[in-house]
Amino acid sequence: MNSSEPKQQWLIRLQSFWQTFSKNRIGLVGLAMLALLILMAIFAPLIAPYTSSSSAEFQVGDIYNPPSASHWFGTDDAGQDIFSNFVFGARISLIVGFFAAFISIIIGGVLGLVAGFLGGRWENLLMRFTDTMLVIPDLPLMVVIIALTKPSLLNIIFVIGLLGWTTTARVVRSQTLAVKSRKFVLRARAVGAGNAHIISRHILPLVMPILVVQAVLVVSLAILNESALSFLGLGDPTVLSWGQMLNYAFGRGAMSIGAWWALFFPGFGIVWVVLGLTLLGQGLEQVLNPRLDTHHLMPGRPTVRKDRVEAQTKFTKETVLEVQNLSINYINEGKPPARAVENVSFTLNAGELIGLVGESGCGKTTLMLSLLRLLPSAGQIVDGRVFFNGEDLTTISDEELNKIRWKEISIVFQGAMNALNPVRTVGDQIAEAITRHMPDFPKDKIQARVIELLDLVGIAADHREHFPHQYSGGMRQRAMIAMALACNPQVIIADEPTTALDVMIQAQILELLDSLRKKLGLAIIFVTHDLGVVAEICDKVLVMYGGVTAEYAEVDTIYNEPRHPYTQELIKAFPDLTKPKKKLTSIPGYPPRLDNLPVGCRFAPRCPAVFARCHTEQPILHNLGNSHIASCHLVEASK
Amino acid sequence: MKHKVLYVLVLASLILAACGGAPANAPSVVHVGWAGSPDTLNPGLAILTEAYTIFELVYDSMYDLNLDGSFSLSLAESVERSEDGLVYTYKIKDGIKWHDGKPLTAEDIAFSYNLYKDTPEYPYLNGYYTPYFSSVEAVGNEVILTLTEAIPNIESQLVFLYILPKHIWENENKIEFENTAMIGSGPFKMAEYVQNEFVRLAANKEHFATPPKVAEVIFQTFENQDALVQAIKTGQMDMITEMPSTAVASLKTAENVEVVVGAPFAPGVSDIIFNQTEEENCPTPEEGGICTGHPALRDRNVRLAMSHATDKQKLIDVVLLGLGAPGLTLIPNGLGVWYNNSLKDYEFDVAKANQILDDAGYLDTDGDKIRELPDGSRPLTFRLNWPSDSITAPRMAELLSEMWGAIGISLEMQAVDPDALTSQCCPAFDFDIMLWGWASDPDPSALLYVYTSEAVPTGSSETGYSNPAYDDLYAKQQTELDFEARKAIVWEMQKIVHDDVVYIIPYYEQATQAYRTDRFTGWIVNQAKVELSDTSSLVFIEPIK
Amino acid sequence: MNRTRALLKKIAWSAFTVLFVIILNFFLFRILPGDPARAGIRDPRLKKEAVEMLRVRFGLDKPVINCFESLNPIKVGSCAVNPLDTQFFIYTRNLFQGELGISYHTNRPVADILAERLWNTVLLIGAGQILSIIIGVVFGIFAAWKARTSVDYSAVIASLLVWSLPTFWLAILLLFWGSNNGLPLAGKSTPGSSSLPLIQQWVDIARHMLLPTLTYTIVYMGEYTLIMRSSLMDVLSEDYILTAKAKGLSTFQILKDHALKNAMLPLVTVIAINLGFTVAGAIQIEAVFSWPGLGGAIVEALGRRDFPVLQGAFLLIAVTVIFANLLADLTYSYLDPRVKVD
Repeated sequence: MNSSEPKQQWLIRLQSFWQTFSKNRIGLVGLAMLALLILMAIFAPLIAPYTSSSSAEFQVGDIYNPPSASHWFGTDDAGQDIFSNFVFGARISLIVGFFAAFISIIIGGVLGLVAGFLGGRWENLLMRFTDTMLVIPDLPLMVVIIALTKPSLLNIIFVIGLLGWTTTARVVRSQTLAVKSRKFVLRARAVGAGNAHIISRHILPLVMPILVVQAVLVVSLAILNESALSFLGLGDPTVLSWGQMLNYAFGRGAMSIGAWWALFFPGFGIVWVVLGLTLLGQGLEQVLNPRLDTHHLMPGRPTVRKDRVEAQTKFTKETVLEVQNLSINYINEGKPPARAVENVSFTLNAGELIGLVGESGCGKTTLMLSLLRLLPSAGQIVDGRVFFNGEDLTTISDEELNKIRWKEISIVFQGAMNALNPVRTVGDQIAEAITRHMPDFPKDKIQARVIELLDLVGIAADHREHFPHQYSGGMRQRAMIAMALACNPQVIIADEPTTALDVMIQAQILELLDSLRKKLGLAIIFVTHDLGVVAEICDKVLVMYGGVTAEYAEVDTIYNEPRHPYTQELIKAFPDLTKPKKKLTSIPGYPPRLDNLPVGCRFAPRCPAVFARCHTEQPILHNLGNSHIASCHLVEASK
Repeated sequence: MKHKVLYVLVLASLILAACGGAPANAPSVVHVGWAGSPDTLNPGLAILTEAYTIFELVYDSMYDLNLDGSFSLSLAESVERSEDGLVYTYKIKDGIKWHDGKPLTAEDIAFSYNLYKDTPEYPYLNGYYTPYFSSVEAVGNEVILTLTEAIPNIESQLVFLYILPKHIWENENKIEFENTAMIGSGPFKMAEYVQNEFVRLAANKEHFATPPKVAEVIFQTFENQDALVQAIKTGQMDMITEMPSTAVASLKTAENVEVVVGAPFAPGVSDIIFNQTEEENCPTPEEGGICTGHPALRDRNVRLAMSHATDKQKLIDVVLLGLGAPGLTLIPNGLGVWYNNSLKDYEFDVAKANQILDDAGYLDTDGDKIRELPDGSRPLTFRLNWPSDSITAPRMAELLSEMWGAIGISLEMQAVDPDALTSQCCPAFDFDIMLWGWASDPDPSALLYVYTSEAVPTGSSETGYSNPAYDDLYAKQQTELDFEARKAIVWEMQKIVHDDVVYIIPYYEQATQAYRTDRFTGWIVNQAKVELSDTSSLVFIEPIK
Repeated sequence: MNRTRALLKKIAWSAFTVLFVIILNFFLFRILPGDPARAGIRDPRLKKEAVEMLRVRFGLDKPVINCFESLNPIKVGSCAVNPLDTQFFIYTRNLFQGELGISYHTNRPVADILAERLWNTVLLIGAGQILSIIIGVVFGIFAAWKARTSVDYSAVIASLLVWSLPTFWLAILLLFWGSNNGLPLAGKSTPGSSSLPLIQQWVDIARHMLLPTLTYTIVYMGEYTLIMRSSLMDVLSEDYILTAKAKGLSTFQILKDHALKNAMLPLVTVIAINLGFTVAGAIQIEAVFSWPGLGGAIVEALGRRDFPVLQGAFLLIAVTVIFANLLADLTYSYLDPRVKVD
C-alpha cells in the first residue's frame, strides 16, 4: 500500500505530463526524429544492407560511386556502402551522446544540488569552481586531453562528459535555491526531516524536470563535440562514427571528385539527431516550464464590431467618457472564451472621480485597459462602445487612438517600479511623453516643464536625473502621476495607485490626486479594491464582481443604500471608514475563475442571501432610478 | 527579411566571385600547391620534406641528386679521392655568387661543413651526415675533407649538407636563427615567406649552372589535399605535389591536367612490424626494455604463414587505390640499383599458410577458430597497433584482420598516439605487431642499419631481430669502396632478412603529382622518380606561348 | 555602492582563474602520457645524444617541480633543488616575460607564431561575430515582435536548425559550393598579392574571408536569434512597455527607445561566454578553409604533437576568454544602472 502509492503518483504525473506534451508539436516532432534514429541504431544489423566495415569484396571501381539502387547513399573512399556505415554510425553518436551526457548530468546535478542546498561557503566555492570551468574553452581543452591520451571511444566519452557539466550545475543550483525556500520544504525541515530525505523527497522531484531538459541539450552538445573531434582526427579510428566518415571523405578526395554524397549524408545524420534533440528539448521546456509567450506589442484582437457610430446620447460638455455595455472576452486556443467583463456601462464627467471597486480578479484592470485598447493579445472587445468626447475608441484606427493615448487619457499604473523603464531616467521618461504628443513644445522648455511637473507631485528637481531604482516606492508613484499629467490630459485612469505602499504614503498620494483633480479639472477613474479609499474622494462608485456590474451609483447611495449583497458585504467589512487600512478579507471564499463562471449569478456561491433562482439565472441590470444600477434578483423582487 | 539578408550575402559573394577570380596568373609565375609548409628555414633544424624542397631550390650543395638516383658534382668542378679513401679534395668553380652579390668561396663551404659537424643540436645533418668527418679546411679554391673512415657513399653524405653563406651565419646563433631572408646561391631566391601560407621564390637568372626560365615560383599551402586537387582543376595552381589517392582517377580525366605517378623522391616504405625480440636480446630495463611480445611471433613459421596469408595487391588496391608497388624489404624499389629485384615474394596462398601453421603445431584445440601455441597455453591473438594520425592504417588493419582471420589468427586492434607508440615500440618492445613506415635516404645504409643487432637497444630496431651473419655484412658494406662489391653485399643482406621474414612490407607507396599542360612545358616526368618540385623541373620549364 | 571594491574583487577573481588555467595548462602536459622530447621528432633513428640535446634545449632535463623529477611516470626526486630551477618556475617566469617556449616543430618562439596567427583569427571571429550578432539581433527582434506568428515560428525553427549544424560540416558544404564557383579554397590571401594596390589586397582578403565568415555567421546567428528573441520577449512583457504603449508611442518607438537597450543587456554576457565556444568554431572552420589562424595552428600542432604551441595556444585562448568575460561583466554593470556591482 505504502509503496504503491507513490508509484501511482508517478504514473499519474507521467500521464498528465504526456497529455500536455502530446499537444506540443515541436516536442513531438523532435521525439519522433530521435525515436526513428534510436530504432535505426538498435536494429542496425537488420537495416544495413551490408555488414559494416567489410572491404573484402573491394574493387577499385567501387570507390565513390554515386547513390544507386544497390547503394542508396553511394559508396565511400574504400568502396563501402555509405548507407550501412551511416546506420551503424548512429550507434556511435548515440552511445557517445548519451553516456557522455550521463556523466555530465551526474556531475553537474550533484554539484548544483549540493551547492544550492548547502548554500554559504560551499555554494560559493562550488560555484566559483563552476564559473572557472565555464570560461575555459572546452573544445581546445578536449583536443589537448585527447591528443595526449589514447583516442578511444571510452576516452572521448569521458573527456566530453567530464567537461560538459558546467551549465547543468548552474541550472540545477538555481532551481534548488528556488525550491529550497518553498513552504513545504521549510515545513519538512521544521518537522525535523534529514537532508537526505528533504533532497530525495522534496527537492529532487522538482529539480528533475529541469534536469531532463538540460540532459537533452547536453546529449546534443556531446554528439556535436564527438563529431568535431572525429573530424579533427581525434576520434577512435576503430569505430566509424559520422564525424569519422566525414574525416575520411574530406581527407580522401570526396570533394574534388564531386562525391557530395560522402560529405552530405553523415553530416545530415548529425543534424538530424541534434535537431531532433533540440526540438525535443524545446518541447519539454515548453511543457515543463511553461511561459506565457505573450507580450504587450503583440497585436490585440480586433474589436468584434467594426462599424463606427456617433454617440447616440447627446454629449454634454461635462461628459468626457461614456462606456456602454462593454463586454470583453479572453480567447484561448481550444477553450471556450473567458468572459472577463460583461455588459458594463458608466459615465464620467469632467472633474469627476469615479471609483471602480472590487476584489482582485473581478475584471477591473481588464476594463480599465480596454478603454485605451491596451488589452493583452488574448483579450477582445466583443461588445459595447467607449465614447470619448463623442468618438468611439473601440473602432477608431490605431493612429487615431495613439493620439488620444496619454494626450487625453493617461494611466497611473499600479506598481510603478515596473511601470517605469529601469534604464532611463525618470525625467527623460516624462519628457518623452511631452515630445511625443506636443511636437511644438519648445525644446528648451521641456526640462522646465519636467521640473514643474515633478514639483507638482512634490519631487525635487534634481531627482529627474535619477533612475527609477533610486526612488522610493512613494516617489515612484508620484513620478508616475507626474508623467500622467505631462500632456494635460482630460482623464486619468489610476489603477490601484496606492497598493503596496504604506499608509502614510497612500494618504499622500490620494490627497495629491484629489487636489490635482480640483486644481486641473481632471476626470479620474480610480481603480481599487479598497472601499474605504473610495468613500473619501469619489463622486460615483462602480462595484464590479466577476466581470459584471454589481452596483453603480453615487457614492452616498452606495454607502447609505447598498442594494447588492456584495456591496453590502464590502461595506460590512468596513464598519469604520476612518480605518482604510483594513483589507477586504472578511468575505469568505474567492471571486469565481473567469474560465469557470457559475451558471446563474456570479456572486451566488458566496452570497449570504442566495436563493434557488440565483443558481440558475443570471440577474439583469436593474435601473433603480437616479443612475443607481444593481444586478441582483433581490432588487427585482423588491421593486 | 531573412531571405533578403541571405540574398544580400549571396549577392556579395557573387560579386566577389565575379570580380577577378584568382588575380590573373602572370605568365611566368608558377603556382605550386602543396599540403605542407616548411617547418623551419634553418637547414640544421629542418625535418619536413617541404623544407628540403625549398633548400634544394635556394641553396646549392656539393652534389646534385638526380632523379635516376645518381649523383653529379655541382659546386665543384672536380674531386680527388686519396688512395686510402680518407681525404677528398674538391676544386670549387669560379664566379659563383650568393644572392646578395657576394662571391661564394671554398671558405663558405668549409664553414658550412664545420657548422654541421660541430652543432650537435642539428638532429639530422649532424647525426646522420657528419659522423665520419674528421676535419674540413679551405685552401685557396679547394675544400679538403678528411674522414675518420673510408666510406663508400660520400655523395649521399654531402648531398643534403647545403652550403650556407659564412658572412651571414657566422654572426648568428646557430640554433635560434630563423633564416627567413635565406641568402643562398641556388637557382631561386627567397622573395617572400609566410609560414603555413606560402613561399614565394624569384628566379636567380645569374645561377652558374641552371638559371630558371620562369620568373617566380610560389608554393602555396593547402591544409586539405582535396582543395589542392580542386585548385589544379580550376587552374588556380599549375602543379600540385600531392593528392589523395582517391582523386587520381578523376584528375586523370580532367582537362589540361596531367597526372604523374612514380617512385617518390624520398621513397617511402610501409611496414608491418613483428616484435620478435628474444629474451636474451631484450634491452635492459635501464635501456628501457620491457619485451612483452607474443612468443609465437619469434617463430619464423608463424611470420611466414602470415606472409603467405597477406594479399598485398588487395592492400594496395584498397588502401592506395592501386598506387603502390608490392614490397619486399625495407629497401624500396625507389632506391634503384640498391633494390634487390631478384628476390621472389611469398605468394598469396591461404591454404599453404594454414599448412605451415598446422605443420608447426599451431592448432585450434578449443574450436574457437583461433589457433593456440603448440603447448596450448596461449591463443594466437596479437595486439595490432598503429599511429592514430595515420589515415590509411585503420583500413589496412581492418583488411589484415580479415586476411589473418582466415588462418586462425585474431587481432586486438588499437590506434595509439604516435608518441605513445614510439615509447611502446623501441627500445621497449612492448607490442606484438605494429603498422608504421620509413622514408628512405638515397643511400641504403640507414635502413639496413634498422635490422642490425646493434640497433636493438638504441631504439632504431623495431623488431628486435638479431642475426650475426647479417651484422657482419652490414659492417662490411659500410667500408666497401667498390660499388659493385658493395651492391652485392647489400643485395645479399636483403635476401637474408627476406628469408627470415623480419617484416611484411605491404607496399612501397608511389608519389602522385599533377601539372597543368596549358601553362608550362618541360616538366620532367620520364625518370625513375617523380618530383616536379625538384630543381630539375623548375629550372627547366617555360611558359607556353 | 562600493563600486571600486567590487571591481577589484572581479579583477582579482579573473586573475585567480588565469592562475588556475596556467597551472592546469602546465600540469596537463606533464601528467598525461607522451614524452615531449620524443614528440617533436618521431624518428627512432635519432641518437641518444641528440635526444638529450633536445631535452636540454627545451628545458626538459630539469625536474618538473620540487620533489618530482617527472609526473608521468611519477618519479620522485629531490625536494632540495632550487625551486627556480624547476620546469614549473621556469615556465611561469617565462610566461610573465611573455615567452611561451619554443615550438618543437618550427623551432620558433611560440609567442611569435601565435601573435602572427592571432590577428587572422581575430579578423575571422570578429567579422563572423559582428555579422551573426547583427543578423541574430534583427531576426530576434522580428521573431519577438511578431511572436506566435509564422514569422516567429520560422525564425525559431530556422535558428534551431542552424544551431544543430556541425560547424565543420557546414564549412565543407560551403567549400564544396565555393569550389565550383571560383572562390579561393585556402588561405587568407593570394600569394604575391602583397605587391598589388591596397584596395585590391583588401578585395583579395575579402574573397578569401567570404566563405569562412559565412560559415561562422550561419552557425552562430541562430543562437543569437533565440537569445535576442527570448530576451526581448521578456522585456516586451514588462509593465513599462505597457506604459510606453499607453503613452501613445508607436511600435517602432517602443522597440527603439524602451525595449532594445534592455533586451541587449543579457546579450553582452552571452557574447562573452560564447567567445569560448566560438573558438571551437574557429578551430573547425580554419581546419576546413586552411585559414592561417589560431585554430589552424592548434590543428597543425596537434598533428605534429607540437606541445609548446598547443600549450601556448590553449593558454592564449583561455586567458582571452577570461578577459572577455571580465570585460563583459564590467560593461554590463556600466550599461545597466540597476546593477549595483555586488
